Parts: sequence; structure tokens; C-alpha cells
Amino acid sequence: MVKIIWDLFLAFLRASNFSFGGGATVIPLLKSEVVTKYQWLTNEEFADYLAVANSLPGPIVTKLAGMIGFKVKGWLGASVAILGAIMPTTLAVIALGGLILKYAHSPALEAMLKGVRPVVAILLLQTAIEMVRESLTHKATWVLGTVALIIMFLWPFIHPAFLVVGSMLLGLVLFKKKD
Amino acid sequence: MVDLWHLFLAFLRASNLGFGGGPAIIPLIQAEAVDRYHWMSSSEFADLIAVANALPGPIGTKIAAYIGYQVASWPGVVVALTATILPTVLLLIFLGTLLAKYANSRALQAMLTGVKPIVAALLIVVAYQTAVDAFRINQRADYLTLVIAASAAVAMYFKVHPSVLILASLALGYFIF
Repeated sequence: MVKIIWDLFLAFLRASNFSFGGGATVIPLLKSEVVTKYQWLTNEEFADYLAVANSLPGPIVTKLAGMIGFKVKGWLGASVAILGAIMPTTLAVIALGGLILKYAHSPALEAMLKGVRPVVAILLLQTAIEMVRESLTHKATWVLGTVALIIMFLWPFIHPAFLVVGSMLLGLVLFKKKD
Repeated sequence: MVDLWHLFLAFLRASNLGFGGGPAIIPLIQAEAVDRYHWMSSSEFADLIAVANALPGPIGTKIAAYIGYQVASWPGVVVALTATILPTVLLLIFLGTLLAKYANSRALQAMLTGVKPIVAALLIVVAYQTAVDAFRINQRADYLTLVIAASAAVAMYFKVHPSVLILASLALGYFIF
């Protein structure tokens, strides 16, 4: 009981506090904790959770922390996972406040961030490839994914939420009978 | 007291209208904190974003904590964070329970089948944008970023933990750039 709470805290602490760039950059790290290391979710469940989390607004890490924490250990699990995800950097921002603002543009910090960006890009790419594999279950899903990709590159101002909700409705129409 | 209520409203609106996670929320928070409530100037906000981007972890909660503290100290932090994360987390826990309960329902499976390619496409776009940002060809040492990326890919093939890669690349960046 204590062990699993501690594991949840650690998993979200590590995943969140090693992710640079906010939002989706945490997904590969989270997947390696939740699916590979602790096996709280299967690959497919993780993809399901990600899909549902993406259909709602708000920061993605705390949404996933709430869902996964709750699945593993109820309300306590959800609270602990969220704390692990947000506490350290929250405290850092508050405590160091003005001091960090001064170093926001320091060359050392920028050099470190420059080193980490290619790694983040590769991590994201790998997760994207896995998601693609996970998602292409029917011929029509190829079409959906390709069309979505084209729309996102051609008209970046179209809100992803429309694509997410639209594709769910389309899915309902397209795939219900075949399954 | 009025400040706390304003903080709550500002972050509730910004976070819960921001689809696409952290980065999507930034312009919405700016509209609230700079334009509507005048808690900070545009350039202070720009500095805050630079700092928030340099630190790890979710970006929305870092900004909420900082502004909350500036406006109303610790109660401000609690209120801004609660407004940012609570509504969607509650909704998702509810949805997650439904997901588990109806995991085998045909309608839900059909909807998930439809949405997964879109989530994959979203990730591809994020990966692409990060890559463009990472491999900006404007400096001499830029082939090094490619070397870092290639080494990371190889290390991942051998199942090195991602956080090890992140730490190593931060240190490397410090020394070579």
C-alpha cells in the first residue's frame, strides 16, 4: 500500500521533472514509467488514456496523473501522482522567483537546453511511431491519420480539439459495425 | 479576497479553454494576467515564459504558481493551481472510470479507433516542431545536435532510461555549446 503510493509519486516525479518543453514532451517519459517499468497500464490502455486526455482541455501531465493515479490507487493515488508531477517545479518557481528570472537568458542555461532538445525530439518521435502503430488498425484509420496530419500542417490555426472530437464522432459512424 | 477570486477565474478560464496541453494555455494566461487583470507587464510575462520553459515539468502549473504567489502569496498559489488542474482532472477521473467500465463497448471502441490516428498525428506534429527547433541550422556546432540525436536513438534501442538520456544531454550541452 505504502509502496505503491511511493511508486506513483516517484514515477510522476521522474517523468514530469525530466520533461523539458512542457505538454506533450512528458508523454514518452510517462510511458516508460507507467507501461514499461511499473506495468500499471498496457500499451493499448495507455493509448486509450492518451486519446481521452487529449479530448479535454487543460495541462496534459496533470490530466494523465489524475487518471492513472486514480486507476492504480483511487483518490489517494490521484492526489499523490499530481503532487509528484507538479510540486518540485512549482516550489522552485516560487522560492527562486526573481533569481531565476535574472538567469532566464544565461548562456549556460541556453547551452544545456540546446543539448537536451535533440533528445526530446527523438523521444517524441519514438512515441509518435508507437502511437501510429497502435492506431492503424483499420484501412480507414490510415486515411484519418493522414488527413489529420495534412490539416494540421496546412491550417495550423484549426484547433486540435475540433479534430479530436470530430474523429471520435467519425469513428462512431465508421467503425461500429465492423467490430 | 477579490484577488483570490480573480486568480481563480483567470486560471479556470485559461486552463479549461486550452486544448492541446501546456503550451496551448500560454496565450490564454497572457490575456488574463496581462490584458485583463494587469498583474504583470508583457515583458515580465515574456521573462516568466522563458524561465518556465527552462525548468522541467508542466508549463501551465509553473506559470499558475508563480503568478498566484506574486498576486496573493501562498493562498494565491493554491487557488491558481486548483483552478488550473482540478476541473479537468475530476472530469477525467470520471471518464477514466467509464472507460474501464465500458472498455468492451462497441461504441467506445469505435470512438477510440477513430481518435487514435489523430492523437498520433498530433504527436508527430509536436515531434516535428521540436526537431525543427532543435536542429536549427545556424551555427557551426550544429552537426553536434545531430550526433546527440543519433546517439539518443541508439541508446533508446538498447533501452536506456529516458531520464538518463535527458540528464546526460543537459550536461553535454553545458560543455559543448
